[in-house]
Amino acid sequence: MTQKYRLDKEGYINRKKSISFKFNGKKYFGYHGDTLASALLANGIHLVGRSFKYHRPRGFIGSKEDEPNAKVQLYNGAKTEPNAVATEVELVEGLVAKSQNCWPSVSFDFGAINNFLSKFFPAGFYYKTFMWPKSFWHKIYEPIIRKAAGLGVAPLKPDPDRYEHKFEHCDVLVVGSGPSGLGSALAAAKNGARVILAEDKSKFGGSLLTDQVTIGNKTGKEWADETVEQLKSMPNVVIKNRSQVFGYYDHNMMVMFERTKDHIESPNKYTPRQKLWYIRAKEVLVSTGSIERPLIFGNNDRPGILLASAAKEYIKKYGVLVGKKPVIFTNNDSAYDAAIEFKKNGINPLVVDIRKNSEGTAVKEAKDLGVNIKFSHAVANTKGYLRVSSATVGKLNNDKSGYENLENIPCDCICVSGNWTPTVHLASQSGNKLKFDEIISAFIPNQSHQNETTIGSANGSFTLKKSLEDGFNKGFEVSNKLTKKNIKSDPPTSNEKSYDNYEKFWCMPLPENKKYKRCVDFQNDVYVSDIELAIREGFRSIEHVKRYTTLGMATDQGKTSNLNGLQLVSNIENKIVPEVGHTTFRPPYTPVTIGTIVGREVGKHYRPTRKSPMHSWHEKNNAVFVDAGLWLRPRYYKQGNETLQQAAKREGANVRKNVGICDVTSLGKIDIKGPDSAEFLNRVYTNAWMKLPVGKARYGVMLREDGIVFDDGTTTRISENHFHMTTTTAQAVNVLAHLEYYLQVVWPELDVNVLSTTEQWAGAAVAGPKSRELLKKLFPETDVSNEGFPFMGFKEENLFGIPARVFRISFSGELAYEINVESNHGIFMWEKIMNLGKSMGIQPYGTEALSTLRIEMGHVAGSEIDGRTIPSDLSLEGMLSKKKDFVGKRSLNREAFLNPNREKIVGVIPVDKKTMIPEGSHLVKDKNAALPNPKLGHISASCWSVEYNNPFSLAILKEGKKRIGEKLYALSPLKNKSIEVEVVSSHYVDPKGERVRS
Amino acid sequence: MKKKYSIFNIVKNAFSNNENWKKMWRNPEPRKFYDIVIVGGGGHGLGTAYYLAKEHGLKNIAVVEKGWLGGGNTGRNTTIIRSNYLWDESAHLYEHSLKLWENLSTELNYNVMFSQRGVLNLAHNEHDIKEIKRRVSANKLNGIDSYWADTKQIKKLVPIMNTENCRYPVLGASYQPRAGTARHDAVAWGYAMRADELGVDIIQNCEVKKIRTKNGKVYGIETTKGIIRAKRVGVVASGHTTVLAETAGIKLPLQSKPLQALVSEPIKPVINTVVMSNAVHAYVSQSDKGELVIGAGTDGYNSFTQRGGYNTIEDTLRAIIELYPIFGKMKMLRQWGGIVDICPDASPIISKCEIEGLYFNCGWGTGGFKATPGSANLFAHTIAKDKPHSINAPFNLERFVSGRLVDEHGAAAVAH
Amino acid sequence: MLLINCPYCGERDQSEFTNGGEAHVARPKDPDQVNDREWSEYVFVRANPKGIYYERWVHTHGCKKWFNAIRDTSTDEILKIYKIGETPPLIKRFKNTLRSPSGEPDVGSGNFTVKKP
Repeated sequence: MTQKYRLDKEGYINRKKSISFKFNGKKYFGYHGDTLASALLANGIHLVGRSFKYHRPRGFIGSKEDEPNAKVQLYNGAKTEPNAVATEVELVEGLVAKSQNCWPSVSFDFGAINNFLSKFFPAGFYYKTFMWPKSFWHKIYEPIIRKAAGLGVAPLKPDPDRYEHKFEHCDVLVVGSGPSGLGSALAAAKNGARVILAEDKSKFGGSLLTDQVTIGNKTGKEWADETVEQLKSMPNVVIKNRSQVFGYYDHNMMVMFERTKDHIESPNKYTPRQKLWYIRAKEVLVSTGSIERPLIFGNNDRPGILLASAAKEYIKKYGVLVGKKPVIFTNNDSAYDAAIEFKKNGINPLVVDIRKNSEGTAVKEAKDLGVNIKFSHAVANTKGYLRVSSATVGKLNNDKSGYENLENIPCDCICVSGNWTPTVHLASQSGNKLKFDEIISAFIPNQSHQNETTIGSANGSFTLKKSLEDGFNKGFEVSNKLTKKNIKSDPPTSNEKSYDNYEKFWCMPLPENKKYKRCVDFQNDVYVSDIELAIREGFRSIEHVKRYTTLGMATDQGKTSNLNGLQLVSNIENKIVPEVGHTTFRPPYTPVTIGTIVGREVGKHYRPTRKSPMHSWHEKNNAVFVDAGLWLRPRYYKQGNETLQQAAKREGANVRKNVGICDVTSLGKIDIKGPDSAEFLNRVYTNAWMKLPVGKARYGVMLREDGIVFDDGTTTRISENHFHMTTTTAQAVNVLAHLEYYLQVVWPELDVNVLSTTEQWAGAAVAGPKSRELLKKLFPETDVSNEGFPFMGFKEENLFGIPARVFRISFSGELAYEINVESNHGIFMWEKIMNLGKSMGIQPYGTEALSTLRIEMGHVAGSEIDGRTIPSDLSLEGMLSKKKDFVGKRSLNREAFLNPNREKIVGVIPVDKKTMIPEGSHLVKDKNAALPNPKLGHISASCWSVEYNNPFSLAILKEGKKRIGEKLYALSPLKNKSIEVEVVSSHYVDPKGERVRS
Repeated sequence: MKKKYSIFNIVKNAFSNNENWKKMWRNPEPRKFYDIVIVGGGGHGLGTAYYLAKEHGLKNIAVVEKGWLGGGNTGRNTTIIRSNYLWDESAHLYEHSLKLWENLSTELNYNVMFSQRGVLNLAHNEHDIKEIKRRVSANKLNGIDSYWADTKQIKKLVPIMNTENCRYPVLGASYQPRAGTARHDAVAWGYAMRADELGVDIIQNCEVKKIRTKNGKVYGIETTKGIIRAKRVGVVASGHTTVLAETAGIKLPLQSKPLQALVSEPIKPVINTVVMSNAVHAYVSQSDKGELVIGAGTDGYNSFTQRGGYNTIEDTLRAIIELYPIFGKMKMLRQWGGIVDICPDASPIISKCEIEGLYFNCGWGTGGFKATPGSANLFAHTIAKDKPHSINAPFNLERFVSGRLVDEHGAAAVAH
Repeated sequence: MLLINCPYCGERDQSEFTNGGEAHVARPKDPDQVNDREWSEYVFVRANPKGIYYERWVHTHGCKKWFNAIRDTSTDEILKIYKIGETPPLIKRFKNTLRSPSGEPDVGSGNFTVKKP
């Protein structure tokens, strides 16, 4: 229960609130305000995982999102989360975490055998091996490699959590709440701008939380707290903690996630786990700070070796010592802050400094406190398997190529600092062209491409004074572009330590005849020798080095390793760093939960569902639905134990015999108005439209400009300048877009307006020999005789007080009518038709029966109009007007489309009249021909003909018309079927079309 | 082969601390004149050079690349390889390629990690079922391994897939067992190494500014490293092909669009098959490193910025969660974009053009990686013989005039 | 995601719009008078420049109006928006110092060539 490494003072934790948690099966305690990392360190635990390839023991490197090693699996079951970063996980009661990528345990891991064989698998070894014998790759090598892959495990159950999305606009988005972030937010807000300030940590303040500085007459922390309060009180400011801006997209589109649940002890059932914010900001101020770089030396990857800034942060934020015998190893002044903190808390650190001396005030303070410093020294190597136990320290010789003497110094942690790397990720994502700053040896933003301004240490200004100035000035500047209020706030005075120059030396030489591993990328096991090997093998581009060695490709995306890697490349190649370049900073800045990106539109809400006004009736009457795009349509109405085929046969037969009713609401409907409407239809349809009388409908075919059939449907002339167009369900949206395009862009001279009315009308098709009788009952006042209401006629009617449009059109091939009423009367219409039709044996029919009816009539639909066929393929030549131009006409007049041997639609029946021909079968001459067997065509649609009670199919067949009467084979290799078939006319039932006209 | 990789060789090098490995390729300055210059150092371009030297015995060849080898779409794609295309022309092309893939590691003595783990293309509605069954039947008659898998079989291959409780249930799929993935970088590196060995000059960081012609014949190229004369020039520059073609006065029916992809953090193996879906639009496979490699659709506008809209990523991941709701708590690690050159019929162009000695290999759209060896092999043939191989003859430029398109819009899960 | 200033509705997110490809491509007045090659160019060939691009957009999930835009395809910067039927503005000079905003670095990437400083 004792937390051996917890200090009595320091930190922003609540020592009164003890929290229990489990790590690798063992129970520990921490405090409210801890992260999993700080709580583990308080309990003296450094060993948290294993590296990816060699399974070397791994401990914490950092204290924040840069952490490459401490990736853990949280919780169990559906709640489990792989690859959580322990430094970012806030401790809550009952938290369960375990180490990843190790078996049977993190302290004894069989995978560690890889470490002993590591000579045999240097960078790129995969490519050179596993090839003999050839068959072993697939059967043996690859399965083994794959088994070894991965870190955590995916949950096995669907994620029970919910995630939400939020859309925001603002004048100024400030990313990061360190001194420059707070300063700029305040300056911009005071100048009247609408500001969003986003901080990814739970506490605002950034470096002010850990640095010993004063601003005005307050400590940095006090100033930060006060500024945050002030910002919170301003109505034009939104201030968010636990909120990570992870992506900078085009035109200042920013994406951020907010952690809203995991840190709460007993969250509400409906609390979203995370929220995703889309922020369109007019100006973005990037104050994302900087990340400390490790130093590279022999066995620098043992647990207990971590960044000096992390050691300081664990003391200052959590009151935790990362060790009691620390060695601090640095090439700059900032690490002395950690030494001072140790010293103040009664621990005697040893500082090993590469430099000859330093005049910085931090160094002076350390000296005054009596800290032991070894200048001109370096750590050459370390010892200790599961935890560092000693550092081999030596005096560097003059040219820093080796050591003058080496001694072993016992220690329990080594805190390293190789200077700081500005966090330029967002700036780079925004398109900012980075430049290499020779003074700090790192890339900084240089030339903005969008309204992006990077400030503070993210811009390479490592002093508080400069950061505050930057913040206040830029906050004013960018806000003033928008508000023009000229309210300028001056930066407060501040006091901080002065820092001396750092020494640009970060990769320690190996002692003579030693081949210690010097780690560059901790998670992915990339060592100096790997980078040397890549260059030796001719990889020159930094991108090649990255891909060959996997440098920077781990889950931390190289936050601590990339710059060290590329400095190494520049050293080896004897180039300057900017010449080597850097790899691309890609979004997201830190890994983002997929559930958060996806939001609420999951499961059934993945896409909207469109339902007809009669949907509830269909449901009540045992309809089985089918997806038709976004629509749900009744496929059949199940009676008893009927199968789909049986139901379709029954429903279809009833249409042929009595009368059926089908919901056709989903067909696209477009209202076309204007004096040039007829001329417009004349141009978009292949047939003629100028002379269509008012009150008449006509079938039309539309082509794409490349001559391919696009859609078909009927269009009715409601009045002189008013047409009602119908489209297929599938193409409704596309047809409207097609019409709009031609009207607005190609023929703007035409005075026509088009408008979708699909949802305004409920539609019912009433089909069958008894449909006229039914119509008479529905519209007793109307002359429904063949003369009074002929085929392709249209009437505006009154259905028991409700206005209705009645069309005499047919898709089933029977005498049929289509009735449209306003959507809200749909159910009234439907029930009325059902009631009045009862005596005639009316039955509803679904899309399956509809399909059967149209197939045996030889009417084409989506399976023939499949985006690959031209009118002649579908025997629609008769629809092509020779007297006028229309969209797609010219394309038909090209060599390939004029070819008389093209495919043609035909009917096909099995010779045995029994076997259904599977859709998608191909027609061949010789069923036993050697492969590839030449294909003559394919079966586009099949049905069981209700008229003739035998199977019938439509086929698109090469030289189809010439082959009528010919015997071919329909091969369905996926069912291992070959069926002898006879080619017949596609118009199997009522070839002359007498019924529709009867 | 000078750089032969064998077990013996690896052990030997291990004992000398891997300090004696040789450079994989030279880094020459361009000569003034080459018989053949290939513009574009991706897999297709390097492969073309390799086959020109290897199969056609040609010498004096250069590959010029404006960036680094394999830095374009070769290094940016989701590495899916399959050949189950509908039309005979495409099926022959991609099957030719698949056969070369099956022997590529041995041929190059470089492990491109071709993993024949199988590819599923899902059907979510009746229309999909029809289209897929038609395609599978066509594949079978073309001698290509292709099967219809029902939901039960799909669940067996991918137990984590949500087939029922979704907006568009999974109703079946096409399955090609010989299909799979490969290590994209290794393909470029393997071809580069062996081409270099056969004397091909590979010139990186050399951008072509202009293709020069004289009297209807190709004359050479202007580059950032000066003018290089060439008898024949083959352009394999994916998204930038039109920019180059225009310098020679050639108009190509191509549009360059962003195509995005992303990877998740690595996890222990959960999905051993490549799964593609058209209606619930995303592809996914799990890499040998454990990352889920996820492919999106193209963004709907022309762009050369090598990135696209965030909305595309969101939509793609939504499809992923629809099919694999267990991935909700996993994290997206990295996302990126490439520039793909798309043809109106979603089929490539491997063709001569009106300028003598100038050849184009382009229009691969969203699916060029799978064709790498086949495309390279056929393009080499076309350049060497100055006439197309029978397999790539249908993929000529004239088809847009004659109307003899090879319309494969159903082929990619990408709706253009 | 681009921010597009619809001339009828104002600035909206790109997700509301659909791109319509190259602008000012006129449909031949009499298609029968053009030969197969010219016709195929009208149907299939569109400009695809890396740089200034005159293109069409339609505000699909908004006013459904088509309009023209001038965009730099190498940066995705929108330089001008104008209505259908208006004379295309001439963009002679514009500030484009960055050839790609993708975050692709200028050295060793696919976008730039190495220049030794």
